[in-house]
Amino acid sequence: MRTTSADLHTLTGAYAVNALSEIERTAFEAHLTRCQSCAIEVTELAATAARLGVAVEAPPPPQLRARVLAAAAETRQLSPHADRVPDPRRKRWAGALLAAACLVAAVFVTVQYTGSSDQDRQLAQLSSEYSRFSDFLSTPDARLVNGKAPNGATGTAVVSASRDEALFLAKDLPDPGDGRSYQLWTIGADKVPHSAGLLTSRTAPVFVSGLTGVQEVALTLEPAGGSTTPTLPAVMAMPLA
Amino acid sequence: MPERERALQSLQSTPRDVGPTADELLALVARGDEAAFERLYDVMSGSVFGLIRRVVRDQAQSEEVFQEVMLEVWRTATRFDPERGKATTWILTLTHRRAVDRVRSAQAATHREDRAARLDPARPFDEVSEQVDGRLEQRQVRRCLSFLTDLQRESVLLAYYQGYSYPEVASLLGIPLGTVKTRMRDGLIRLRDCMGVTG
Repeated sequence: MRTTSADLHTLTGAYAVNALSEIERTAFEAHLTRCQSCAIEVTELAATAARLGVAVEAPPPPQLRARVLAAAAETRQLSPHADRVPDPRRKRWAGALLAAACLVAAVFVTVQYTGSSDQDRQLAQLSSEYSRFSDFLSTPDARLVNGKAPNGATGTAVVSASRDEALFLAKDLPDPGDGRSYQLWTIGADKVPHSAGLLTSRTAPVFVSGLTGVQEVALTLEPAGGSTTPTLPAVMAMPLA
Repeated sequence: MPERERALQSLQSTPRDVGPTADELLALVARGDEAAFERLYDVMSGSVFGLIRRVVRDQAQSEEVFQEVMLEVWRTATRFDPERGKATTWILTLTHRRAVDRVRSAQAATHREDRAARLDPARPFDEVSEQVDGRLEQRQVRRCLSFLTDLQRESVLLAYYQGYSYPEVASLLGIPLGTVKTRMRDGLIRLRDCMGVTG
């Protein structure tokens, strides 16, 4: 757990200079609400970065002054009471991003508490898993796809065309039961499903490589160890395109 | 030399102490005070525009982003929480984010690739160095930047002045992602300590 916090902690610098992708920034902000020492450090490092901004001061063209002041006079200020500043550009993303951030956080909590007594090995693994997530979530073209199963479970896929990879996370999946496990499939234009691997737990993330031609991912319930063809009906199907 | 530095530092804090601070003005702006916004504009517009111009480069686009940012300061002043930092930091954080949003948007992608290809990592520091004549604040920033290792300085400045994400910085500098993250943090911590920033 300390290793994971330390890993997240090193993002304070990249966050202060705004070098995180939008997804990673949202995940880090979720972490900030729970980590007071990170929040203090972010405040200080943001103030430091601001000094770099002040150092490149340059006056704006003088005619902009009257324009800005006139625009302000005609613009209503926000109510001081909402928690978040609504930003039309973020609105579309906010829910999905928050869901992804929570899922990533949930994955780590799960991993943290299901390990053996071999703490060192566990921490090392956590650390490398976190790096892999963090690297992936920082891909500039990463986008989110969401799906919902009839039983209320949700799926989120972070898809990066440039990396030819997707990260799939599920939430609220029911217990598969003894001797059964969840299996992920990719489906292309030919409608033939290819196994993308088993979920090691209900909240375990699965990386899917090789997205060329993939139009859909689907999740099925299979006998433990998985199947060569999916057992229908699928628990959930999500179009990626 | 240390004495001279101290004298410079005390001189430097003098001009901004005359008249209301950005924090006081922003508190008035939050109550809809247009005259206070006018004074806040005069105090902050140079830093805001300078930072946007540095990141965005294009003059017309910089002017657009500048007007959006100043209006957003007016509109969202009600949400500024003085317990979470200084007004200057709040405004410049917002400014930097909007400037970076602009350069990362899809339209700018191709231009930026060209720019990245011919980018010399040492350049941001040189540009700061060129501009330091006279201004004491800039002199302090320059002095403190010189205490960073090359990788720390380049990581911080490529992200801050060029608006690159840390994976972009990593590929420009040819170092692993994890290394970039720690260099950015270590570099900023060293700057913070050198400048005596308290947040």
